[in-house]
Amino acid sequence: MMVLVQDIKLAAKPLILLPMSQEEIKEIILRVENLSKSFPGVLANDRISLDIRKGEIHCLLGENGAGKSTLAECLYGTYHPDSGKIFFKGEEVRLASHQDAISLGIGMVHQHFQLVPPMTVMENIVAGTVHKGIGINIRQATEKVEKICRNYGIELPLNNIISQLPVGQQQWVEILKALYVGAEFLLLDEPTAVLTPQEIKRFFSILTKMTRAGLSIILITHKLNEVMDISDRVTVMRKGKLIDTVDTADVTQENLARMMVGREVVFLITNEKVPPGETVLEISDLQVVNAKHRSLLKDINLRVRRKEIIGLAGVSGNGQRDLFDVIVGVRKIASGKILLDQEDVSNSPPWTMLKKGIASIPQDRIEEGLLMEAPIYENIILGIQRCAQFRSGILFNRRKINAFSREKMRDFDIMAGSPLQRVDTLSGGNLQKVILAREFSQNPKFLLASQPTRGLDVGAIEYVHKCLLDLRNSGVGILLISEELGEIFHLSDYIAVIYKGEIMGFCPTEDTTVEEVGLLMAGIRESTP
Amino acid sequence: MNDIFQTVFLISLLSGMIRIATPIFFAALGELIVERSGILNLGVEGAMLAGAFVGFVGGFLTGSLWLGVLLGIMAGGLLNLLMAFMSVTLKVDQTVAGLTINLFSAGLTFYLFRIIFKGFGSSNLPNLHTFNVIRIPILSSIPFIGEVLFSQYLLSYIAFLVVLPGIFFFLYRTKYGLNLRCIGENPEAMDMKGVKVSRYQYLALIFGGMMAGAGGAFLTLASAGLFVSEIIGGRGWIAIAIVIFGDWKPFRIMLAALFFGLLDTFQLQIQGIGVQFPYQILLTLPYILTIVAVAIGRRRAGAPIHLGIPYKRK
Amino acid sequence: MISIFGLTLEPRKKTSIPLQTAAILVGLVAAFLVSAALIATAGANVFNALGYMFKGAYGDWDAFVETLVQATPLIFTGLAIVVAFRAKVFNIGAEGQFFAGAMAATWIGLHLTGLPGPVVWVLIIIGSIIAGGIWGFIPGILKATLGASEIITTVMLNYVILYIISYLLSGPWREPDQFYLQTAWFPDHCRFPAVVPLSRLHLGFIISLVLAAVVYLLLWKTPFGFEIRSIGINPRASRYKGIRIKKTLVLVMVISGAIAGLGGGSEIAGLHQQLRLDISTGYGYTAIIIALLGRLHPVGVIIVAIFFGGLVNGSTSMQINTGVPVALVHCIQGVVLIFVLTAEVLATYRIRRTEIDE
Repeated sequence: MMVLVQDIKLAAKPLILLPMSQEEIKEIILRVENLSKSFPGVLANDRISLDIRKGEIHCLLGENGAGKSTLAECLYGTYHPDSGKIFFKGEEVRLASHQDAISLGIGMVHQHFQLVPPMTVMENIVAGTVHKGIGINIRQATEKVEKICRNYGIELPLNNIISQLPVGQQQWVEILKALYVGAEFLLLDEPTAVLTPQEIKRFFSILTKMTRAGLSIILITHKLNEVMDISDRVTVMRKGKLIDTVDTADVTQENLARMMVGREVVFLITNEKVPPGETVLEISDLQVVNAKHRSLLKDINLRVRRKEIIGLAGVSGNGQRDLFDVIVGVRKIASGKILLDQEDVSNSPPWTMLKKGIASIPQDRIEEGLLMEAPIYENIILGIQRCAQFRSGILFNRRKINAFSREKMRDFDIMAGSPLQRVDTLSGGNLQKVILAREFSQNPKFLLASQPTRGLDVGAIEYVHKCLLDLRNSGVGILLISEELGEIFHLSDYIAVIYKGEIMGFCPTEDTTVEEVGLLMAGIRESTP
Repeated sequence: MNDIFQTVFLISLLSGMIRIATPIFFAALGELIVERSGILNLGVEGAMLAGAFVGFVGGFLTGSLWLGVLLGIMAGGLLNLLMAFMSVTLKVDQTVAGLTINLFSAGLTFYLFRIIFKGFGSSNLPNLHTFNVIRIPILSSIPFIGEVLFSQYLLSYIAFLVVLPGIFFFLYRTKYGLNLRCIGENPEAMDMKGVKVSRYQYLALIFGGMMAGAGGAFLTLASAGLFVSEIIGGRGWIAIAIVIFGDWKPFRIMLAALFFGLLDTFQLQIQGIGVQFPYQILLTLPYILTIVAVAIGRRRAGAPIHLGIPYKRK
Repeated sequence: MISIFGLTLEPRKKTSIPLQTAAILVGLVAAFLVSAALIATAGANVFNALGYMFKGAYGDWDAFVETLVQATPLIFTGLAIVVAFRAKVFNIGAEGQFFAGAMAATWIGLHLTGLPGPVVWVLIIIGSIIAGGIWGFIPGILKATLGASEIITTVMLNYVILYIISYLLSGPWREPDQFYLQTAWFPDHCRFPAVVPLSRLHLGFIISLVLAAVVYLLLWKTPFGFEIRSIGINPRASRYKGIRIKKTLVLVMVISGAIAGLGGGSEIAGLHQQLRLDISTGYGYTAIIIALLGRLHPVGVIIVAIFFGGLVNGSTSMQINTGVPVALVHCIQGVVLIFVLTAEVLATYRIRRTEIDE
């Protein structure tokens, strides 16, 4: 759920460990005492103390940058804590490497999958595991994995190649990797990021089965509704500190949100709709195939008008990337049309699309949008570097470029000393502001925004949303591609859903619900009477 | 008369094919292992040069050719150890590191050669008696095939009959080979499983260097019997191209190596016959073919996904 | 993070310029020590040898001028590498492109002798630029259209052109009655004039400096140069923002080849006045070292090229007086590069005692 905030400061709860009863102590499988971990310039974990009970699902809740993943990596042996102690099953342990964690029975599933696409599921599970001999006994391993799958009701084709599996299933391979080597304690980092609401339900039911069988789980998330749905207890972290650990039954989403953010959190939608203008972008009957003639996008029909935001919901990997690439001009169309202000721009190259007024925010700002080793001013003029306004004759005029950059830095509140500062010194929020400054300054007719708030803290998310709404109100048409349903519902005038390269539905935001959209995201069309 | 002539020509051609392919094949097999671990090592030429030089010096000074080969192999491995330090530990850009290794090896071997062989000039280069071809008893008497397949240098037998199946077995039938292949595709995945990625990459590079060293030693100790700074003549680069052309699969790499060997031998044979054609133009054929191979072979699916990208734990 | 021998190195947040400079100096010192060891293996006195080298390179005006002569081809090829590497196009073929330019210059200088000198010079410049550009175009277009690795294609073309020249020098272009493989000599008026009277320092040196300025303006002061650097930093982002990747790659290879070709032409017209196989001592490869040490910047290239030119120039004096082979120079160049690269990377880390007890 999306939240807007007002500033009321709330202090972190003081760290007092209450004495526990004998039964409680026996139940604890993992105990962390005053764990701290810092990186150059950042204190990621500040004297964290918590305990995990055997058989519980314990959520670790916090915004991006709160330190949740760092804590998990300390428990998995990726990082060595600067100070503090870790007790597993009552004994103090030193996790110097992943091997240490794995042999204790600790397993971790990371946010970004670590699979080898050209190899089979079984190969992915077996590779790197410790077993006798130099050969690989696939049959034996397969039997073992099949047994685990039967135990928990996991359905997975074990001999398929990873690249052929849908993303939701790849998730299970990751978990099986841990279970195969005997994990009793699982660290799951944002495991539902790539699942549809229905898949999430199923996922949680299997997790419950696992905990009933004795597994203990730490589930890292920033989604409040998931915490309420699945966890027994939840620990809230903020800016590296542990705020509190509570029984889920005793709190509400509002409580948690406030603890997470530290300020009074208000659920408000301040999106005042404006009447839309004429159609600016029209996509009709778009078909896109890859080099092997496999269909990537099929029968895409979309219409975006000026002064409106169309939200495209969908789990990642269902064609969003290809649609983005097609509109930006980086990928060719097999058939169909793209019209910009009634002009046919189908199959135009990126430089033409740019010139005609299509701006874009890429889903990975660092890999696809920025020149990290370059100064701010070079990033701001990227794409419009040939404009005469930056030149005197054929050479660049640095004074004009600097003035332009300073203006943009002011307008978009980019926190940096000067335009000459290298972009890799900026925070995530500021990086996104650089991209916004660049795209907006090109006076686009149409903006394509893909995952514009991924990895940003609440303050930055709020800012980006405000910018998008302002841009919309100024007359631009926006296609918003996002995996965050809350964001989609908050910003969009219309919602479309993409699934396996096809548009599953299209209707005004007020006429639908999260559940409906969730069904479409999972590919379940409504049955029309 | 013509028939006999043709048969002799064909025999020399095919037997020469194996002989000439051997050094490139050694280097290519080594590079295959390296690239499977995700490292794009461009220093093959330098490692072969190190092997050729040290092999020659070793053979010349000790009188034992096999000792020379052993020293040449070690030299190649040692040079690649330096490459491993630069590209795996320091994470210097792999292209830069590989080129640096080449330049370093070229300079060092050139200099040391001048020092060690001070008295010799370009008109009287130091030389030694090369290996003899090993004729396998009985088998080598078979007409045609006997000459072609069973009268080769021991090093050639080792390359095609020992190293090749060994590498195939290692890559596809052992757990270490599986780990190695996975590292090349997704090193982070293996790191998170507790596999020591750096160790695999170091060992892969050392092995690759040893193979390249063997190939270089073959050139000085089996083929030429002497050492000049240009002796590798681009074969290290051709080996890299062969790995691409062979789609990172051992047997296809063998076919590619044999093909190059065939072409190279062909142009030598043509010269020998006295065909009126500028021999220098013929000499360009292997290089032009490599360009063609790289141009059409680029869309290979077998390239390890993480090839050339240094692995940094986030 | 790096762990070596019980020490842990963790990345610094920011490596300041003074620290970077210090690192490079440390690298140079380490290289110097290794070079000293190498000199010792030749049986010579280290200080003696280095002394003669220094005197031979910078000891007096004549020596310095000769150092600049040696530096000239290095500046050209170094600049060629800068342009290419800035786009992350790894042109290893500067050697071949250099020879291509040399070939063109030779043909023009021997055949267009009816024209006045300055006209011939201009034609030589244009011709060697075109020839080098063509030799750079081939790998460029193969990379842009077929994705062929320019690293391999450029190296292969080095060998190809060498054999072509070898053929020409032993046949159609051969100077009759000569033992060595070489062409006839340029007539006097076709030769580049000397810029320092009675020395070997020729017009090519001036051209190289002008070219350095041009390369600087191109890369940092023009939109096209910005696009070149942008591709080198982030090709994906560049593509999304409308930069024509393929076209730029081809142009980069053409420009790089043209610069190297000009270097070859200038070396022929200014220094050798004939074509032989030994007019280059691996300039195209040394250029890579120079460009990297020079931080891929024209000013850096000039500085390092003059330094390397001094090494080459001084080494002849060193060999004559102490017997240390001239080949030491190539060795030192490689060693310097290794140490400086290593020192650079290490400078971005900070030493921390490995925590044994957490």
